[in-house]
Amino acid sequence: MNLYQPHLVKIDSIIEETHDTRTLKLRFLDPEVAAKFDFRAGQFGEYSVFGAGECTFCIASSPTRKGTIECTFKSVGKATNAMRGLNEGDTMGFRGPYGNSFPLDRMEKASMVFIAGGIGLAPVRCVIWNTLDLRDQFKDVTIVYGARSVADLVYKRELTEWEARKDVKLWQTVDPGGETPEWKHEIGFVPAIVEKAAPKADNAYAVVCGPPIMIKYTLPVLEKLGFPPERIYTTLENRMKCGCGKCGRCNIGPVYVCKDGPVFTAAEMAKLPGEY
Amino acid sequence: MRPGVQRVMKTRSISRENLAALVADLVKGGTDVVAPARASDGKVDYRRVAKFDEITMNGGMPRRSLKEFFLPPTEALFSWKQKQADITLEPVPTTFGPAVVLGARPCDTAGVVVLDKVMGWDFRDELWFGRREATTIVSLACSGVDDSCFCRVVGLSPETEKGADLVLYPADGGFLAQPVTEKGEALISAHSARFVDAPAGDPGKATAGKEKKATAAAAAPATPGGAKSETVLPAGAKAGTAIPAGATAAPASVGTGGIGGPVDLGSVHDWLADHFEHPLWEAIAFRCHGCGACASVCPTCHCFDIVDEPEGVTEGTRRRNWDTCQEGRFTLHASGHNPRAQQNARFRQRVMHKFYIYPEKFGETLCTGCGRCVRDCPGGMDLPEIVAKIAALATKDSVRS
Amino acid sequence: MQELRDLARKLLSDGAVGVVIGYEEGPHGVRPAFITDGADADKLIFDRRCVQNLATYLAPRRNHLGKLGKKALVVKGCDARAVAGLIRETQIKREDVVIIGVRCGGVLRSDLAIGNGGSGNGEGGIGGGGAGRPAAGAVATGAAAVALTPETVADRCAECDIREPHLADHLVGELPPAPPVSKRREELIAKIEAMTPGERWDFWQQELERCVLCHACREVCPMCFCERCVADKTVPQWLESSPTGRANFAWHLTRALHQAGRCCDCGECERACPADIPLGLLNRKLAQVVEERYEFRATDDPEIPAPVGSYKLNDTQEFIL
Repeated sequence: MNLYQPHLVKIDSIIEETHDTRTLKLRFLDPEVAAKFDFRAGQFGEYSVFGAGECTFCIASSPTRKGTIECTFKSVGKATNAMRGLNEGDTMGFRGPYGNSFPLDRMEKASMVFIAGGIGLAPVRCVIWNTLDLRDQFKDVTIVYGARSVADLVYKRELTEWEARKDVKLWQTVDPGGETPEWKHEIGFVPAIVEKAAPKADNAYAVVCGPPIMIKYTLPVLEKLGFPPERIYTTLENRMKCGCGKCGRCNIGPVYVCKDGPVFTAAEMAKLPGEY
Repeated sequence: MRPGVQRVMKTRSISRENLAALVADLVKGGTDVVAPARASDGKVDYRRVAKFDEITMNGGMPRRSLKEFFLPPTEALFSWKQKQADITLEPVPTTFGPAVVLGARPCDTAGVVVLDKVMGWDFRDELWFGRREATTIVSLACSGVDDSCFCRVVGLSPETEKGADLVLYPADGGFLAQPVTEKGEALISAHSARFVDAPAGDPGKATAGKEKKATAAAAAPATPGGAKSETVLPAGAKAGTAIPAGATAAPASVGTGGIGGPVDLGSVHDWLADHFEHPLWEAIAFRCHGCGACASVCPTCHCFDIVDEPEGVTEGTRRRNWDTCQEGRFTLHASGHNPRAQQNARFRQRVMHKFYIYPEKFGETLCTGCGRCVRDCPGGMDLPEIVAKIAALATKDSVRS
Repeated sequence: MQELRDLARKLLSDGAVGVVIGYEEGPHGVRPAFITDGADADKLIFDRRCVQNLATYLAPRRNHLGKLGKKALVVKGCDARAVAGLIRETQIKREDVVIIGVRCGGVLRSDLAIGNGGSGNGEGGIGGGGAGRPAAGAVATGAAAVALTPETVADRCAECDIREPHLADHLVGELPPAPPVSKRREELIAKIEAMTPGERWDFWQQELERCVLCHACREVCPMCFCERCVADKTVPQWLESSPTGRANFAWHLTRALHQAGRCCDCGECERACPADIPLGLLNRKLAQVVEERYEFRATDDPEIPAPVGSYKLNDTQEFIL
């Protein structure tokens, strides 16, 4: 067995997030692997359907919840279409975890601001649950989440759960025109809602993930709020194959996203050429 | 090894007859012997040989580099079988039978050891190292192929022992054999009857500019485009390798790629680090077709793809295949977004990876100057020319500051 | 040569074009030149080493060339067939390009013309004298070094019927004498046709096993202009991407069929192949079949429809039944 041979995982359950996005809960078939498997928030894996190939996603569940891992994906290509074709009880491949992670130990006793757009909530959700499961180690927790329309919001049941919690400030928004008559939350683009939410920058970290355009307009807002680029984190998605620093595909300038990333601070990102 | 450094391992010599016998011994003993040899179309490839007669020692440049014996163009990673919902995986072996590479070009052996770095950092590629460990590499000091060779430009030389376990030097009636690693010494010990101790003498220095007269059977041939050799610069200390007494160094003009001599790779690295955006890149690749022929013949290009090849519905094999950053689909996301949408950006990546990214990460230049990319480029892209251009820009910048 | 340089200078200084794509002396042989400044027009050359088909730079997928502006292109008769092909298949408009036709007396085999470019492997260089190739130095020193003989002339020149391109805005040079004729390729095709199916299979097996599916043949081809090649499609995946024997066969047969009646016989695929696979044999054979059956031969007249996109009542169709 070599490093490219995945572990077998069984699909425990499937959650339909949106019309094209699903979450799979996966359990390692080999109990020894299951017992040993550990990861840190922000790390990713290579998921595969045998016959269709591999695809790369961050692990969307929290490392504090042992036993299973979750991935949330949109069906856009060969492998993700095949993943969509699978049923509960079916077997897939997983190898990982790979890459660096959010330095949560460094963030202890700090406030956390999570900002996500669309399916970009998947990698952020991992850190959110990690934080919430260790809630007493952090100060304020603010979440700003937006999607194009109400139908495009993922993890709806968890949004309800976070909304109900007193120790979480949740701002939900949809792009103008994406609301339904029943929509009671914000209408507007994520950067504007961040500005409105105005989380305090003192002793606070921001984790931002979403479409490039959202990140581009959110960073100046955070800067205005007083977040230094060293305390703004994001996670990058570049096309990958090996996931472990060999195949050469994910280079951005001198950086191997799969090894030096996928988690970067805004300060680090500013030094990178725009090839992502 | 630098000039003046005392050699630890004793130089031997071996006659052609004994080398032929050694090949026979190895093959008989079940060792794969890989060497430059004629292909069915008459060109030279590295391939498995059954006997010494097939080998073309210092003949034509093998069409592709040595890398494919450690990272094949396509290889199985594992296979799967499905029975209802149950899937079983069948691993591929990560240990390999013994092999000896014989008569490899020094630029090719150097490429292999350069790639050890990326294959072994953090995660270890067992398939690469499985083959590496099973293989003893015997190189042959090079007399050069043509004026596309540019090993000296990238700080190597036709005598470089980098990546070799044992280096052969053409000498009267046969070869001098200089072990470089324990593995090389072990090969000699295991076949000690085929070798004799070389006559003692001061080790020569293969410093360029001081061409020795050929004494060995294989005379150093004339340099290509003879007039050019006068403009050749000294190769510098880095390119120098202590060669055994009695061996002949290649003329200083060999391996200078038409640009005269080595460039300062450090300043090339530094310039690249600071100039991801520069007018140079805007016009770098007009003639480039983005065909990636360069990558397929390169001793150090190692990018690969991982794909599933199903056999029917219930079984198949996951494979890794050579790939190239020169093709647009290399970085194409499933969403349709492509971070490197244009050929200029893709060629910049090729230059950056070889002369900045890889040195930055692994302390090695991802180029050994074999010249295959120059010879095989249908568009006339010329890496030594480009590197020289960057070195000149770097010098200009340093003068200005 | 002066005529060509003066014309290029004028086109650039008049602003008629933004770039003249022609040939120049590179550090290791003749190569494509992109002249954007009239002052550089003297770099342009044309002689029997100019084997490259520059029409490939007209295909829309060359998106990095767009910023150079309108293109003028130096074409030989064989290259003009590719330009016509691109116009015929609506990839470019006739008025998109200024065509500088050169009268041509034949070109060298590419391995002789540009050193080792895609063929050979340095055999004739310093390593010393194999296979009748000239030393690398001889190639670099200029056209005069290698004369056109039946041995040295490019295969396609034997079939040439357009030594003076009709599809041209400007014609330069005097018409040189017709090149010597090489029978090499036709003899090889005849030899392969005379083989038993088993022998033929073995022949192609041996040639194609060297393929690593780098697709250089496709990337240099002026007629392989698809934005997304069938070989790169994954949903559904038509062709395997691992360079195993069967996938290599599937790729080269697919490409040859896609080229039937379209190939302009410029030899670029064979020249670019780093594995020296004689791809020209496949394309030439299919061109012969198309000519026999559909009375079509690649031409530099874009008005003549290609058989693949046209229908005639007398088209042979017995193969359908």
